[in-house]
Amino acid sequence: MDLNELTISEFSRGIRKKLFSAEEVVSAYLAEIHSHDKNIGAFLEVFESQARKTAQEVDLALERGEELSPLAGVPLGVKDNILIEGTRTTAGSKILESYVASYDASVIKKLKEKRVVFIGKTNLDEFAMGSSTENSAYQVTKNPHDKTRVPGGSSGGSAAAVASGMALAALGSDTFGSIRQPASFCGIVGLKPTYGAVSRSGLIAMTSSMDQIGPMTKTVEDAALLFSAIAGKDTLDATSVSHEWEGEVARPDPSRARLLRIGIPREYFIEGLDNDVRIVIEDVISLFKSSGIAVTDVSLPHTAYAVPCYYTMMPGEVSANLARFDGVRYAENKEASRSPLAQRGKGFGTEAKRRIILGTFVLSSGHHDAYYKKAQAVRRLISDDFRHVFQNVDVLLSPTAPTPAFKIGEKVDNPVQMYLSDVFTGPTNLAGLPAISIPGGKTSENLPVGFQLIGKHFCEKDILALGRWYENETSA
Amino acid sequence: MSLEINKKTLEHLAKLSKIDLDPQEEEHLAQDMQSIVDYVKVLQSLDTSSVSPMNGGGELENSFRQDSERENTNQGNGRELFPHTHEGLLAVPPVFK
Repeated sequence: MDLNELTISEFSRGIRKKLFSAEEVVSAYLAEIHSHDKNIGAFLEVFESQARKTAQEVDLALERGEELSPLAGVPLGVKDNILIEGTRTTAGSKILESYVASYDASVIKKLKEKRVVFIGKTNLDEFAMGSSTENSAYQVTKNPHDKTRVPGGSSGGSAAAVASGMALAALGSDTFGSIRQPASFCGIVGLKPTYGAVSRSGLIAMTSSMDQIGPMTKTVEDAALLFSAIAGKDTLDATSVSHEWEGEVARPDPSRARLLRIGIPREYFIEGLDNDVRIVIEDVISLFKSSGIAVTDVSLPHTAYAVPCYYTMMPGEVSANLARFDGVRYAENKEASRSPLAQRGKGFGTEAKRRIILGTFVLSSGHHDAYYKKAQAVRRLISDDFRHVFQNVDVLLSPTAPTPAFKIGEKVDNPVQMYLSDVFTGPTNLAGLPAISIPGGKTSENLPVGFQLIGKHFCEKDILALGRWYENETSA
Repeated sequence: MSLEINKKTLEHLAKLSKIDLDPQEEEHLAQDMQSIVDYVKVLQSLDTSSVSPMNGGGELENSFRQDSERENTNQGNGRELFPHTHEGLLAVPPVFK
């Protein structure tokens, strides 16, 4: 049995049946990181001794016959914009190079109670701004399926770590596709929860009205387990929502799939959609159809406005959220003078500066109504599109990204081209809806392609049930 | 609406954003920003006169918590991690010269 290919459920059964110990599994993942991460660049930091210690504690607790969570002992990668007390958290930025988190993010607190093993912090585009993980101030992460290609982003480190057997699962964050697009590029599962389902406390904010933390895993079943462990109302995040997460979210029931109606948004099959991606998605749709699941065409007429809407509204939130990083608080760059202007000039990378300055522009007097407020109105139109179609269908199915993983360096000089790789994932963030990317097949060049299922607000159970059904059908 | 991002606009915005830019960077940023502003112009073609702007990610209104006793924040820890301290106080660069 290859320990680096285990799923969470297999791991959890295995340590209970004494097929292997948690410590053996954690050691196997650490060994994989030591031998292969120099070629992938997924991790910014690895917590070797703490990881072994937690795994040993889990093994001891099992010996004593304690009741443990199915997540106990699972070696988890954590995107480096999520705080773990006492450890360095950089958000992929020079401006936080020496910042040590002074508290745990709420999701980390929850997972610590379940004795999850944090194996390391994973690379990301600076402050989660990007679609390729090339914007990190520290390193470029490579796609494990083809090292000349990007892993997607901004949670590229987490996706690459899971896809290459260096973490059993990982946490990412998704503002406009940053969990789902890298999941699609790396051939894993990525879930972006409903806005408000998971606490954002301790997630370094990028676009507060859209950021969500979510699981990146090998299977839909694992995504459901990890999601149900981090979901819930938190007094430290006023936008988190109290919701009855029924048992079926942790263990979604694939037999419910047949009761769900799927809509195919025709605006997601545009010119520019890669032909191999189209073929994979059409095969996935055929499978659902041939099994008697109701599939109909629907229309989301404002889809084309989602990317320009986001690139107007998001910079405004970014400029406000990043105002606190000034080299006076958090961390200081010793190479620059102590003036906040110099610290910010040297500390932020190009994309961060671009967004901050653009945000200052869209919020400034004279431009606020024409840009920021206009974008907020368009956001309503996009959100209403979904509300209308969800009167007739339960779930939407689309490609996750218009292309498979692109080459490193291919889009780095053209921000607008880079932004368009989020054209199918972004609208759901504007509307606050849950969505999941699931591996659907491969291109002729053997690159993974994901399909996306979008659910109604707080109906993670629907997309997870359909995903589980698909997994069962295709693994048989 | 056509808007030009020139050197002067950019320098003003950089000042408001509290970011020092070097001249080379300025040129690139001005070009990038121009292409983004041109790209997002398409929003102006939509009639939104009867649409109420969406101000947040969810539909919550007046989200208050109970004013009750709760776990203390870790102020001491924050102070320890502050880049410069002086006799237990936070030291910041001088504001006045």
